[in-house]
Amino acid sequence: MGVRVKRVNAVGILLLAVPLLCLLVFFLHPLATVLLRSITDAHGAFTPTNYLRLFDDPGLPRAAWHSLVIGLATTLCTVSLGLCLAMALHRSRLPGKALIRGALLLPMLAPSLVLALGLVCLLGRNGLVHRLTGLPTDIYGFWGLLIANTLYGLPQVVIIVSAALVRTPARHYDAAASMGASPWRQFIDVTIPRVRFALLAAAFLVFTETLTDFGSAVVIGGNYRVLAVEIYGEVVGQQDFAMGATLGVVLLAPALLSVWLARLAKRRQDTGDANPGRSFVPAAHPWRDMTLGGIALATLLPMVGVVATVAYVSVVKLWPYDRTLTLANYMGGMPDGYGPVATSIGMATMAACAGVLLVFALSAGLRRTPSFVAKPVQFIASLPSAVPGLVLGLGYVLAFNHGPLSGWLYGSVAIVAACSLYHYHAQAFLTMQTGMRQVPQALDDAVATSGGTALHVLRDAVWPFAAPAAISTFFYLFMRAMVTLSGVIFLVTPELGLASVTVMRLDENGFLAQAAAYAMCVVLASALALGAMRLLLHVLKDRRHVA
Amino acid sequence: MHLRIDDIAKAWSGHTVLDGVSFHARENEFVCLLGPSGCGKTTLLRIVAGLTAADAGRVILGDRDITALPARERRMGLVFQAYSLFPDMTAAANVGYPMRLRRDPPARIAARCSELLERVGLGGLGARFPDELSGGQQQRVALARALATEPAMLLLDEPLSALDPAIRGQLRTEIRQLQRALGIPTIMVTHDQEEALAMADTIVCMNHGRIEQAGSPRDLYERPRSRFVAEFVGRANLLPTAFVRDALPGFLERRPPGSESTYELCLRPEDVAIESNPRGEAVVEDSVFLGNLARITIAWRGRKLLVEQSGRSVLNRGESVAVDALRGVWVCA
Repeated sequence: MGVRVKRVNAVGILLLAVPLLCLLVFFLHPLATVLLRSITDAHGAFTPTNYLRLFDDPGLPRAAWHSLVIGLATTLCTVSLGLCLAMALHRSRLPGKALIRGALLLPMLAPSLVLALGLVCLLGRNGLVHRLTGLPTDIYGFWGLLIANTLYGLPQVVIIVSAALVRTPARHYDAAASMGASPWRQFIDVTIPRVRFALLAAAFLVFTETLTDFGSAVVIGGNYRVLAVEIYGEVVGQQDFAMGATLGVVLLAPALLSVWLARLAKRRQDTGDANPGRSFVPAAHPWRDMTLGGIALATLLPMVGVVATVAYVSVVKLWPYDRTLTLANYMGGMPDGYGPVATSIGMATMAACAGVLLVFALSAGLRRTPSFVAKPVQFIASLPSAVPGLVLGLGYVLAFNHGPLSGWLYGSVAIVAACSLYHYHAQAFLTMQTGMRQVPQALDDAVATSGGTALHVLRDAVWPFAAPAAISTFFYLFMRAMVTLSGVIFLVTPELGLASVTVMRLDENGFLAQAAAYAMCVVLASALALGAMRLLLHVLKDRRHVA
Repeated sequence: MHLRIDDIAKAWSGHTVLDGVSFHARENEFVCLLGPSGCGKTTLLRIVAGLTAADAGRVILGDRDITALPARERRMGLVFQAYSLFPDMTAAANVGYPMRLRRDPPARIAARCSELLERVGLGGLGARFPDELSGGQQQRVALARALATEPAMLLLDEPLSALDPAIRGQLRTEIRQLQRALGIPTIMVTHDQEEALAMADTIVCMNHGRIEQAGSPRDLYERPRSRFVAEFVGRANLLPTAFVRDALPGFLERRPPGSESTYELCLRPEDVAIESNPRGEAVVEDSVFLGNLARITIAWRGRKLLVEQSGRSVLNRGESVAVDALRGVWVCA
């Protein structure tokens, strides 16, 4: 006669319950509200009218088409250029790789619209190039948007593809070379098969992000209107929430599909050999290096140039007419002072703190749960990557501006922080989970048999391995929250200003120099955060003896 | 304190891992759970430790039924194969961990840590971190930590598998000596039969979630009861009844009654005597020189047999030899 032992892991349940509840209230609930709003009328009755109205305005289907086209075009450009850059970093003998890596960091430090802003200042009708050379440059429209989106998406592609390249063991190249394969042949037969799923995953990610991008489209899209801009117009301009919600759902569909395909691609990706062995040392090949170097230069010079232009514009008296250098924009020249910057930093800190705690709890809670519970939870936790920021922001407005919590939440920094957090929840969760997976099972058991409780397991077994992931997650959330625009654009109030939104507003009204000044503040804050993260991780690595 | 396992059953997603396993370990006994991968031995150890819950059956320590007790209350010392030391604690801190959890006074913890480290041969290395220790040293720290709280039982999960062969032999002896000195009942899981033979008082040989045979090393080696045990513990020549009737009729009388295919004769390689003889029935097919002994394969009446001769063999390939068997035991096929 046996005794069936039921281990009720109270700590585990609590760890799961709180983050799940927050996901429910602050993510699923707003999302559901948007979906509901799109299929109901003003009185709450179900109706398909909103979707039918989509075709009344010929501009809307055209905007949807534009979104698709710019998405595909950007994806094509970023993936091909990204592959070249990744090859330049890991399969060439180019000098100055640190410069390439540094340049690739820049787009991550600023809102997407800052790149567009820099492009406009450089190549717009009244841009620097026009002023200096007299050439009739006009960057608004499709091409400007394409360039801005490409520059913004490149770093991600390079990171994803680089990871795949680094994982390829050197001995595969050795084997190919010993059988007589030329470098080009090696590229086709060894490199491509191992990176193709990484390329696919990166492609879908860039497609989703471009499809839903709002900042660049507003600044540099011009007459090339995309769906994201239409949503903004409906909600802020026309106050037509139903229409906004409907358009949001339309945008949601391809995003969901794209993210699902990205996940499939990532799963089929080679997880690398168990023993990668010696790291790959590229052979000397001047032609390859020159080509890759040329492409890198052609791609990264504009990247650096655009950000440098923004920096330049921020220290100029009256752009573009009076270009005397001055720091006036930073000292008293800003319409709202440093308020929006401070609010952004505060909001980002809040999002990062809450985020890291919630994501840590969620990952820790999932460690010992059976898969019939774990799989749906992981799905919900990763769903935010498919939801455009605008849709989530709209959901927050609809869900929290009325109803029982509105008095407390509406207009608060907390709600903006929550929106930012859940917009980027998927990647944060992934980072934390990856860190937690490194904890050896034996360590868990060692704590248990030494007499430790579940809390001891967390402190002594999990934390040493999860600490770097926690730090990365914190700063990731901080930096994303600093630069996010589409998620929060609907949540700002006259009393609650954010730096990224202020940049957009100032640009809309033609105050480019001040816009640039705010943008540089964001860049500085992000750069400091990045530096702090790198320092912390380095110190941690030194002090700890975790491999 | 002795341990009794009563009819333990366990299944993972429909697949039976343990099927009604029972045995007991006496005071001071060193028991080895021996078997191939997937036979359930590690699962059984984890059930004894309390890390995994059995579906049915009982675990009784002394006179207490501890089946429902969680791992942290069972007071058992567990040594894993690898990666079980806290990477950012020193060796001494690792050893002292269980005592710190129990909030023992710091002075006592420090004293006991140095005593234990001394005992496992790591005196003076207490301040080192795990990544500054060799594999063998890490396992010694793990052993010291397992012994820190004076556990009722010591559970070892393939502690030597991840080590270099040279270290393995040394550590094997040390573990056994330590266990004898402390008198702690111990269960060790291993798939290495040489380890089991060298270290155990009792070997529990397992296959497919069942116990095939339990007994002293000599018992299992000299009197295996089944084909599996005969082949897993040591090498064996397994001869069907018809062959024995032709070639070694003298063994037939000791055959238990049963149909033709129920039993086979197990001949250990060192129990097959061969001698060079031009009129011999068998031919030497291959001879492997291993220094102190030779392993010789002979072809005899259509079967290949493995023979071991100690000392330096002078038999060559193709030589004719006469064959005789000194000892044999009938096993279930």
